[in-house]
Parts: sequence; C-alpha cells; structure tokens
Amino acid sequence: MRNGDPRVKLVWVLLCTTGALIFFRPWWMLSLALFTLAGTLAFGAELESLLGRLTRLLPLLAGIFLIHILFVQTGEPLLLIRGFPLVTSDGILRGATTLLRFFVILGCAAVMARENSRRVMAALTRMGIPYLFTFQLMIALRFIPSFTSSFSDARLALQLRGVELDKIPFRKKLRLYADLLLPVVADAVVKSRVLAIAMEARGFGAYEKRTSFLEVRMTPLDWLLTAVLTGLGLAFLGCYFFGWGGL
Amino acid sequence: MTSAIALANVIFRYRQGGFTLSCPKLDFFPGELSLITGANGSGKTTLSQLMCGILQPSQGEVRIFGKSAANLSLGQIGSQVGYLFQNPARQLFSGTVWKEMTLVDELLGRDSKSAACKASRLLEDFGLGHLQERSTYYLSGGEKQRLALCTLLMGGARFLILDEPTVGLDKPNRQILYSVIDSLLAEGRGLAVITHEAELIRRYPQAGRIQVDKGQVAS
Repeated sequence: MRNGDPRVKLVWVLLCTTGALIFFRPWWMLSLALFTLAGTLAFGAELESLLGRLTRLLPLLAGIFLIHILFVQTGEPLLLIRGFPLVTSDGILRGATTLLRFFVILGCAAVMARENSRRVMAALTRMGIPYLFTFQLMIALRFIPSFTSSFSDARLALQLRGVELDKIPFRKKLRLYADLLLPVVADAVVKSRVLAIAMEARGFGAYEKRTSFLEVRMTPLDWLLTAVLTGLGLAFLGCYFFGWGGL
Repeated sequence: MTSAIALANVIFRYRQGGFTLSCPKLDFFPGELSLITGANGSGKTTLSQLMCGILQPSQGEVRIFGKSAANLSLGQIGSQVGYLFQNPARQLFSGTVWKEMTLVDELLGRDSKSAACKASRLLEDFGLGHLQERSTYYLSGGEKQRLALCTLLMGGARFLILDEPTVGLDKPNRQILYSVIDSLLAEGRGLAVITHEAELIRRYPQAGRIQVDKGQVAS
C-alpha cells in the first residue's frame, strides 16, 4: 500500500477529512482517529514526523482543550467552584473530540507529505482535474515551507541584532510579528512572480496539451481499496446521519 | 588577549548527514581581520554560523567573549557578534529603510534621538541617505547589501562576521565597504570576512587567513 496509486490515498484523505469535519460525537471521532492511525501506518507515513508535529503543536492543543473545558457548561459537572460548574463531562469530551480532529488532519497531511508531488499531480490529472489547477495547487503547497523559512529568517536576523525576543513584552511582540508578517507575505508574492517568469522563460504553457513521462496506473488492488474505502465512507455517513445499523 | 570567538575541537554534522565540518582550534581576536576562504560548498557558511550561534556544534565548544555559546541566547550573542547573511535580503524585513535602521533601538527602548542621529550618519556614509523612505523591496542588490551592513553597525556588536559582503557591489561600493572595514578595525572591532574576492584578499595582506577545504578548517 505504501507505493500504491496516489488516488487511493486521496480517497482515504477525503474520507478522513470529511469525517473530521462532520463528526461531533466523541466515540465516532475516536473511531475515525483509529482509522486514520491505521491508514498512516498502512500508507507508510513517518510516525516520527507526525509525533514531532504533534509535540510542536502541544501548547496550542493544550490551549484549545482548556478553552473547551472552560466554555462548555453542559453535561455532568465534574468540578464546581462556588456552585459554578468549571469542568463538565461535555467540556472534556468536546475538547478531546477537537484534539482527535487535529490528529486526523495531521495524519492525512503526514501521508500526503510522503507522496511524490509529481505522482499526485499525475493522479489528479487522470481524475480529470485540469493540469493547470493541480500544478498551481502543488506550487502553493511548496510555498508553505518557503513562507515559514522567510518568517524564521526574519526572527533570526532580529535576534542576531541583539533582540532577545523572549524578553519583549507580549503586546510589543504581537505588533512586531504583525509587522514581520507583511514583508514575509510580500516576499512570497515577489518569489511567485519570479517563479512564473522563470517557468515561462523555460517554455511552460507553450503548448496547449502537456505530455508527461510519469504515468500512474491503478492496479486491481488499488481499485479494490478504492471501492472498499468508498463503501466504508458511505456506510459511515449512513450510520452517522440516518442511524443505520442502530448506531 | 581574550579571544572574541574561540572554537575548540568543533565538529558539526547536519542532521540530514552528508557533510561534516571539523575545526580543531580557531581563535578570532578583537581588532583583527580574518579572511575565510574556500571553494563553494566547503563549509565556510557553516563555520560562520557556528561562530555566531545559529548552529550548535555536535561536538566541541564555541566560546564568545569567554562565554560558552551554548549558554547564551541568540539575542545575547547578537548584541556582541553581528552577522551579515550571504543573501542580505534575508535580514531585511521592515517596510522602509529608515524603519529597518531604527527598529531594534525602538524595540529595545533605546534613546530615539541618538539612534536617529546614528542611523542618519550611517546611511549618509553608505550612500543611502536619499533612500530613507524607500521600501526595502525596491532597493537594488548592492543597496540591500549596504543597508544590511548598516543595520549591523547600528548595534554595538564588538565582532562582525560578514558572509561574502562584496557580492553584488560595484567598484565604488566595494571601496565604501573597504573604508568601513578599515574604520571598524581602527575602532578595535574584530571582523571575520568570508570572501572569494581577490581584491579584498590583496588589500589586507596582514589579515589572518582561514582555509576551509571539504569541511576541514585550517588556519
């Protein structure tokens, strides 16, 4: 499955992310997270990098969990302060659901990050999506690391001018980051224009139809997996929304 | 004399592997100029980034003005050691030339009058006085190079590391750079300059020479 057709992975990602967006019941989200975990293992995503990303996001995730705990007042009160329900069972369940949603999205990203972007482009083109759109999508995705690197360069340069960012008051730091963001965005725009010129100079778009050396083909196993995943997706949606099977 | 930057038995390996920099012992002193030379990809920039704490050695120790770089934050290092990137556009991020020059002083709450005076003088010295309100995006490569150097000089760094500062500079601008190097040395500041420029090497025959070859540093 690791080297399977990217279309199978795309169907799996579509299934998982759709579930992540529409499921709000905790046990459903837990099932989806386990399903995602199984998929990430089967598709050979790097678990270390997934865990690394989760660790980096830990403060944010903890904050989100805390907000859910504090702001959801329904359910059984678990901690009362002067009669005010500070922590409720619903708050904990909703917080956990949101964290699992993040896990699902990061799991999907880890699987797609491992896939060769040219194969994904070829697969999307075979699915009937115009090449220009898929190409733009891939370029946009490639700009994310460039964007983050520009921002960290700006932070680095500032520190190397003797600014200890940790010691700057929060408000001032917030304004500084807002100031840094604008040139970083402008830099990305300039880079994209340079890239467009460079591509045109190398003949991009000179012919209406584009040929590709790389071709992706669905094997019988890929077709079977796609059918199983599509069936599973429809069954899950039926169970969730229409209560099929008494679920 | 206490060295400004001292590297002892430093070995650096990139996490991705493939390249290792090895530096047995190297000292840089205040008031002295050192020229770092070597072929493309030999490890000059890696060495310079180890010297200013951007990279941490896998083994060995880097000391900056007597203190271990491992115990200093980048901000603390930056207040003593200035670093000019190979691509100066990487270190310019403010809207205008003037804001770029005064940003750090404003952030650190330093005296704005003296900062403005210093900024004006530096911009004039580097031939950028007429560009104060210009966006940094619309500067030419040489202007960006000079502005990045000006921003370093705005701080009180006692040692400066310049990564290929002559790239993109025409002859008159190179002359300005040389006179800046002369005045910095006269002020007692130390400099390490990565360069391929034969003119710069010829101009400073008394400078210390550090040769980097396939990751091996020799002085």
